[in-house]
Amino acid sequence: MNVQSNPVTSLETNARVLSYAEAIREAMAIAMQADPAVILMGEDIGVYGGAFQVTLDLIDRFGPDRVMDTPISELGGAGVAVGAALTGLKPIFEFQFSDFAMLAMEQIVNQAAKLRYMLGGEASVPVVFRMPSGSGTGAAAQHSQSIEAWFGHVPGLKVLQPSTPEDAKGMLLAALADPDPVMIFEHKLLYKTKGHVPEGSYLTPIGKALVRRTGNDLTIVAGSIMLHRALEAAEKLAAEGINIEVIDLRSIRPIDRDTILTSVRKTGKLMVVYEGVKAYGVGAEISAMVAESDAFDYLDAPILRLGAADAPVPYNPDLERASVPQVDTIEAAARRLVRREV
Amino acid sequence: MPVEVILPKVDMDMSHGTLATWHATEGQLVQQGAPLFDIETDKAAMEVEAPATGYLRQVTAKVGDKVAVGTTIALLYAEGEAVEPVTAAPAAASNEGLQPTEVILPKVDMDMTHGTLAVWHVAEGAMVQQGAPLFDIETDKAAMEVEAPATGRLHYITAKIGDKVPVGSTIAYIYPEGLAAGQAPLKTSAPEVVAPPVKIATGQGTRATPAARKAVRDNGMTLDTVKGTGPLGRIQQADVVGQRAVHERPADVQAFSDWNHEPGSLHISRRQGTGKPIVLLHGFTADSQSWAPLEKALGIGSPLLRIDLPGHGKSPKRHVNNFQDLARMVVEAFDDATRDSEDIHLVGHSLGAALALALADIRPRRVASLTLIAPAGLGPEVDAAALNGIVRASRVESLAPWLRRLTATPDGISDDYARAAMRARSDAQLRACQSDMAQALFPDGVQSFDLRPALKRAECPLQIVWGRSDHILPHAHGIQADGEFALHLLTGAGHIAQIECPDRVARIINRMIRSVESEG
Repeated sequence: MNVQSNPVTSLETNARVLSYAEAIREAMAIAMQADPAVILMGEDIGVYGGAFQVTLDLIDRFGPDRVMDTPISELGGAGVAVGAALTGLKPIFEFQFSDFAMLAMEQIVNQAAKLRYMLGGEASVPVVFRMPSGSGTGAAAQHSQSIEAWFGHVPGLKVLQPSTPEDAKGMLLAALADPDPVMIFEHKLLYKTKGHVPEGSYLTPIGKALVRRTGNDLTIVAGSIMLHRALEAAEKLAAEGINIEVIDLRSIRPIDRDTILTSVRKTGKLMVVYEGVKAYGVGAEISAMVAESDAFDYLDAPILRLGAADAPVPYNPDLERASVPQVDTIEAAARRLVRREV
Repeated sequence: MPVEVILPKVDMDMSHGTLATWHATEGQLVQQGAPLFDIETDKAAMEVEAPATGYLRQVTAKVGDKVAVGTTIALLYAEGEAVEPVTAAPAAASNEGLQPTEVILPKVDMDMTHGTLAVWHVAEGAMVQQGAPLFDIETDKAAMEVEAPATGRLHYITAKIGDKVPVGSTIAYIYPEGLAAGQAPLKTSAPEVVAPPVKIATGQGTRATPAARKAVRDNGMTLDTVKGTGPLGRIQQADVVGQRAVHERPADVQAFSDWNHEPGSLHISRRQGTGKPIVLLHGFTADSQSWAPLEKALGIGSPLLRIDLPGHGKSPKRHVNNFQDLARMVVEAFDDATRDSEDIHLVGHSLGAALALALADIRPRRVASLTLIAPAGLGPEVDAAALNGIVRASRVESLAPWLRRLTATPDGISDDYARAAMRARSDAQLRACQSDMAQALFPDGVQSFDLRPALKRAECPLQIVWGRSDHILPHAHGIQADGEFALHLLTGAGHIAQIECPDRVARIINRMIRSVESEG
């Protein structure tokens, strides 16, 4: 396997184009082909193909012994996955919705994240949790959350957020190569988005953010679907002569301190855009990290956070849309920040 | 009812005006719209027209009086209207018109009834500027800085540090300049002498971003010398950088006439080579450095000789009355610099191209060939907004948008280029000198000089290079001009083709030089 850095996704090239969901499936297939220890677990991932059709036909290719439908018990399923990982298997456990991980918190937080430490390094839990997340599907408050920051609070976990098909594949392969538990938050609205995906096996480095767009006026840190909204807002503002640097966060835990601080030292302004509830979120961590660092002295405006409204995600589509950052809200906030109105 | 004549606010931050002249005398009939009086502020003088037709009566402001804005200074009575005795003087003239401003303990919190005076930032009798921190109050919940409501001297402080004062109480007065604090204002029931307030170290309690504070530290300045332009008066990095420029360069950019006129000859820089020299004349607001991309593209060969125009680059800042004046200085410098060469190839850009054409007209035998890049002087139109914008910009944020008009598309100017351009323009006196020159050469946004006759007369091999997307000078001037010249119209280039596509321009120039020298 080769490690390669991730250039800006380019659709113009004649390169191979896959959807985000296809890229994840390809990663799983490559890993299962290469390593018999890799197994898939989750509710309806077999014949049904998964709630978002990510596993699709993998049961036909690898059989029910390696693509296992679990009962409707997240705690039980996750517990089996953690136990299997302890024995040396490499399970990929899919939650139908990341919201349902609440049911399995004991296994994720108290077992998977802690066992290496509790057992003095004698054991490791190489499990991967796949977490379909985010709003925008009209699925209401219990199926639309963005809870990645919750797990960012847990030492022992790694928490990733791919924004492109290329990263979705590379991150899953990197997660499988990692000896410890990794949670990958896949955005439901991104499953059908397309982009260049390299052939074969490659690892997207864990803990490395990526500057997707360079600029001098403002740094925006965003991940997952918010990256795309931030890039779109940045393009609109470019027409006004505003040059925004957009960083794809990619990894919530560990976080890429250097890339963020380097950019803030350059631009003197920071905005963090994330889909989780604004309070106590990813943006709070990044803001505090910058304020505590030597990059503080380079700040020439307050740090802004754009996150979800302090409310459960609404069912009404207009309210749902209004409750999380959109291109226009990002654009307006960035403009105010650059024009020194904040 | 008589119509009140009121001292108007003619300036954003004006609080008082001095009555300079009355154009009518007491009892005289004045027509609506006729000049009635002149006022002067710190910044400007202004004529005020009569608000109505009528007889001027009860004039209360004498010439020389300083009067608060909004004061009634006279009344205009209609024909036959009885002049009523003034019950309360509509305005007290002279210093009596000046009133001290009350300093009131504000309500800064929803359910606050009292506030504790935490600190006075200004001592009794000291001057304070409107908006400057005056005192801090503390409530049960919060501490807050209160700004001075007016400019003047602080007197009659009645609240000492630690006093708990009801919201809305008058706790001091600010006396405007010119008003003696002889007697306590009526409201002050018992003005008591207060111990001198605690002296606050400068810079404390000032809103400033971390970057601004760092810039202040790095430059050995203090925050209290910097005026914040950000939200809530916050000092931002650009304020410090701008302030530093002002510190280093006493001349204000706005004061156009206020730059030092320097004698001396124009600055010449040379590159050695063989063959006839190429003389380069840069454009308005540029300098010799701007030829670097073209020089590189021209390759090694002919000697190069660059002239910095007066008030540009390293040349002295000289006043020019008009284009002829400027051309004379350039011809002098040219004669001096090319004493050893018989004839030269002349290349000019924009204003430099107009000067090159003038030079060729005056010294026809010295010019072997002439290349004009986006020449000025071939028509009246010019993008005056961009011109003035570039001249006036004192920081990169204000310069960059105008620079982006120089190229075919705005993305032709990188941030680095804009920063370098601003560095080259950091001298406020240079900007003032160029502003002065812009007034002389492009009055009212028009090219005041016409070189079309010179173009028509020119006999040397002559070519014009023009970007089709020039937003500063229209390339149509080149198409419409009469004369024997080759016209190269470059698609995708703007006003600075020699920087946007130096290779193409260099190829055109080299071809010209080769053809001239092979003939010779």
